Amino acid sequence: MTQDNSSPYPPLSHRIYAVWYRHMRVYSSNLLSNGLPPFLEPLIFLAGIGLGLGKYVPGFGNVPYVVFLAMGLPITTAMMTAAFECSFGTFINLEFNKVYDGMLAAPISVNNLIIGEMLWAATKGFFFAFAVLVVTVPFGVIPLPGGLVMPFIGFITGLMFASLSLLVTSYVKTISFFNFYFTGFLSPMFFLSGVVFPLAELPEVLRYVAEALPLTHPVRLGRSLCLGQLRLELLFDVLYIAAFIALAGYLALKRLRRRLID
Amino acid sequence: MQQPCAISVQNVHKSYGKTKAVNGLSFSVKHAGCFGLLGPNGAGKTTMMKMVYGKAERDAKPEGVINVLGFDPQHNPLNVRHLLGVVPQDDNLDVGLNVYQNLSLFAKFYGLSGSAAKTAIEHLIEMMELTDKRYSKTRELSGGMKRRLIIARALLNNPKILILDEPTTGLDPQVRHMIWDKLRLMKKDGITMLLTTHYMEEAFQLCDDLIIMHKGEKVIEGQPRELLEQSIEKYVLDIVNKERMDKIKDCLNSPSLRADISRETLHIYSNHIVELNEIASQLEPGDYFLRAANLEDLFIKATGRALDDSG
Repeated sequence: MTQDNSSPYPPLSHRIYAVWYRHMRVYSSNLLSNGLPPFLEPLIFLAGIGLGLGKYVPGFGNVPYVVFLAMGLPITTAMMTAAFECSFGTFINLEFNKVYDGMLAAPISVNNLIIGEMLWAATKGFFFAFAVLVVTVPFGVIPLPGGLVMPFIGFITGLMFASLSLLVTSYVKTISFFNFYFTGFLSPMFFLSGVVFPLAELPEVLRYVAEALPLTHPVRLGRSLCLGQLRLELLFDVLYIAAFIALAGYLALKRLRRRLID
Repeated sequence: MQQPCAISVQNVHKSYGKTKAVNGLSFSVKHAGCFGLLGPNGAGKTTMMKMVYGKAERDAKPEGVINVLGFDPQHNPLNVRHLLGVVPQDDNLDVGLNVYQNLSLFAKFYGLSGSAAKTAIEHLIEMMELTDKRYSKTRELSGGMKRRLIIARALLNNPKILILDEPTTGLDPQVRHMIWDKLRLMKKDGITMLLTTHYMEEAFQLCDDLIIMHKGEKVIEGQPRELLEQSIEKYVLDIVNKERMDKIKDCLNSPSLRADISRETLHIYSNHIVELNEIASQLEPGDYFLRAANLEDLFIKATGRALDDSG
């Protein structure tokens, strides 16, 4: 109470940072249970699918199957963590523990709150993609130095699925509804976005579907950059990603505002 | 420029769909005063509070005005929230973090960090008597400690106004009295308070002025003591055994008596204790209770006995 509060409220960057920092602190207060799984999960997946199943699957071009698969893994992991954070996580903060109500009593605006949330989910995307890299690189399944691009693609993927998941959350009234989103949308997309097999193997109609799906683009971008294959086609992926984040993010902001302010 | 009032509210309306939560409410809160919004559940108290700090937006039509320290919370919510602290009805602490961490995270929202944050936090932990619990996770705290922590959190930025939404609901008498003492000290320090409660004693203990709300409208406004003297009889006889009512029915015709029947109890109000004593003498000792009228009687007189189950 020795503070003088006659100065104006904190600047925009500080407000967004404060929201991001809150999420980071809550996450890191359970470092073991929160931080260990991202390192274990990809190992289990690669052992089961890559090494087990991979024996029976020939490589694509001159890339062995386990390498092909491993290069998609940082991206899908980033997608899943951002989606969880901004669906179940956001819903809990919104409806159950009322954490957002607390923030909105401080000088934090709805936009600050949502953008801070998105950036935090993107940070988790970065961290989870990095974790996949750390555990797979020793097995030589992700090529270096190209693989170093993965955490950054993870960050962008995190932004995409944070925006989308927040938009989905804005419609959700009961938490079990998220089952549709995960089992009905995210899981099938996993198989249709060029993670487990190249899109060229798909029938033509499904190829168009795959091109429309959001996950396809960061996966292609990540794998190409990782292998050092720079093509003009990648520009389309970059544009898709930017437009997706902008549109889903804008709609999420607009709709969640109505939920946060009576 | 100093505004004449810390908070001024004029003709404010708020609807949720077809439900009118606040209907043409006006009041003003003077600097360093404590103003009470009273009323049963669903009267619109919390909605009114939320509009004061920009968590809810008032209806555009009919046009109303809210001014908090010179700012309109709808257009400048951050200016307003920077100057006031909110103690919400629900506990919204971070349960996985300890007392100190909860405060230091919130300090960041106000742009406090480093030694400035530390000084403020230490001071508040001591003031709210949470020193022994500083490293306890909030989920391990009792209801009273959580409430004190939430009040400490609302005070982090040295607010000019404190908004208290039922600050002592569900707490035991010891904690309640301690919180009242702390709030009185803050008032002495010049903090303006806006308080909702349905505990009449709380309003009596803390408020300089109050309004009683019912269905989004103001039904009574005044100072607690003045209202007790002017708006309600001095004494009440509660007759708890309904079967005895026939016995005293004839006495009730006196013009100086006012009777009010709730479900199982008959309440007889009067300014003359002699008259009530006379009625009581016809009854068995366990059938009645003779007492001085309090704000709760006024509250019920103003808002009726019906339960509002709509909200």
